[in-house]
Amino acid sequence: MKKIGLTTTVPLEVLLAAGYTPIDLNNIFVVSKDYGKYIEKAERDGFPKSMCAWIKGIYGACIENGIEEVLGVTEGDCSNTKTLLEIFKKNNIKIHSFGYPHSHSLDDIKNELDKLMKYMDVSYEEVEYQRNRLNLIREKAKHIDNLTLEGKATGFENHILQLCFSDFDGNVDRYSDFLDEKIEEINKRVTDKKELKLGYLGIPPMQGDLHDYVETLDGRFIYNEVQREFAFPRAMNSKNIYEQYYDYTYTYDIDFRLDDIKKQIKERQLDAVIHYTQAFCHRAVEDIILKQELNIPILTIEGDKSNALDARTKLRIEAFLDMLKDKKRSEKINE
Amino acid sequence: MNDITCKKIVGIDLGSREVKIIVTENKKIILRKKISTVSFYRDYCQYQDKIIVDLKKLGIEDVDLAVSTGYGRNNTDLSMFKPINEIKAHVYGALAQSGKKDFILLDIGGQDVKIVKIEKGLTTDLDLNDKCAASCGRYLENMANVLEVPLDSLSNYSKDPVKLNSTCAVFSESELIGKIAEGISLDRLAAGINYSMYSRLRPLLTKFRGNTLIVSGGVAKNRAIIEYLKSDYTEVKVLEDPQFNGAIGCCYYGENFI
Repeated sequence: MKKIGLTTTVPLEVLLAAGYTPIDLNNIFVVSKDYGKYIEKAERDGFPKSMCAWIKGIYGACIENGIEEVLGVTEGDCSNTKTLLEIFKKNNIKIHSFGYPHSHSLDDIKNELDKLMKYMDVSYEEVEYQRNRLNLIREKAKHIDNLTLEGKATGFENHILQLCFSDFDGNVDRYSDFLDEKIEEINKRVTDKKELKLGYLGIPPMQGDLHDYVETLDGRFIYNEVQREFAFPRAMNSKNIYEQYYDYTYTYDIDFRLDDIKKQIKERQLDAVIHYTQAFCHRAVEDIILKQELNIPILTIEGDKSNALDARTKLRIEAFLDMLKDKKRSEKINE
Repeated sequence: MNDITCKKIVGIDLGSREVKIIVTENKKIILRKKISTVSFYRDYCQYQDKIIVDLKKLGIEDVDLAVSTGYGRNNTDLSMFKPINEIKAHVYGALAQSGKKDFILLDIGGQDVKIVKIEKGLTTDLDLNDKCAASCGRYLENMANVLEVPLDSLSNYSKDPVKLNSTCAVFSESELIGKIAEGISLDRLAAGINYSMYSRLRPLLTKFRGNTLIVSGGVAKNRAIIEYLKSDYTEVKVLEDPQFNGAIGCCYYGENFI
């Protein structure tokens, strides 16, 4: 099957129906030992220093791994993707685009999906067949999410296992089997709940050690906002592919995204959230709105090129969680 | 409300130059005491595996809780005292003294500077000077000595500061002497000293934009520096007990979290 690189989560159902093997370029970039080389490759080829490391990493990963076709999201995600696609084109990579319309109207989303289906030459029925197939596996992500709430799965497992739903780790059936094994393994564990219940907001972090670091401070991310969206937890409630992609949150307006965040904060009884922003990303400005709208302590951290937390960010997280523990304990005493 | 609030709490902040002691009862301060750090360890402490503070000698009796913080982790390890880190102590002190929940705290002590962002009552960002004391109390003391004026009167001058370029406290002294030799007025020299310290704080401050700045530490008493800071923040508030802020924070911690 032909490989197709992705710049973020897209309607995989269409690509699978068209016989593609989707590969999320973010994932091959960030988990690679050569992640720094991918960024370097992009900078050597002229990408500016003052540009998000993800865009550069995606570029490097695509070129270095010989990906010949890419589907990029040009609306609702990173606006730099438009130019990235043009650069790919100049590198003789076949490009396609998809947009999550800012209007967030079901008609506009239907138009985008129909356009993609027509372009990929697949029928609605073929797409729905794939949707039903994937949604059965997506239920496993919900299972893992519940295991995190129960105190069995770690915050990192919650993060990484849901994150990989953006491309089913390159092989749908193999990933489904892998999830079964993971669920079985996690289920056998003894419950280990942490003192602080934390939420993670924003795009997945550059730093792979963040989730484990908070666990050393007796905290756990029991909600990973965008990663959870990658796994489409509400997919079973949607009547068709159009509704499913209408119900996706973070690529549309902030209010729609906030509704679900607020609901999760309440249901999961979170003590605080950590909002991750990427250096040079427009989403950092959304921090203003998140802080205004969410009635919960928020720590904002920023990542750039490094895939590990720097000492200063660690100190900030430590100081924040330390005082949060004081606050939580005193509330318990005063109850 | 927790019973402990009715008890007597001692908070000790072991600074690099001075040890600050606060005793509270029913959340009210009943004693403030400041001792030079050398004298504190020499005259009021014994060492037996851990440092034991002779509270009786300090005139403090019948305390229910003791909390300490200070310069360097080892120094805070007093027997019978619950140690807390100094960022936390200063933030709790500022929360207790200001009643605010969202602000930037600038603490300028004898040898170090701390700047902390507080949102919804929690620390969300912080930075410390980690190199030298060129923008701390020690610098002002040295420069006041060179000018042969008391530290307190030095802080009155903010207008038309003479330009002092050096980023180093030692070189600044010789630069100041040069300016004295040029016959520049005392007012301008004093303002120049204050402004040079403010300008060394600025790189730290630019990373901490916000509306409300709360200033603590001994240097908070420098009126000129406070004047300069007013151009960077909508509101600049000096704590009533700026030097005792860390010790007050220790008591606040004891009142609310133990």
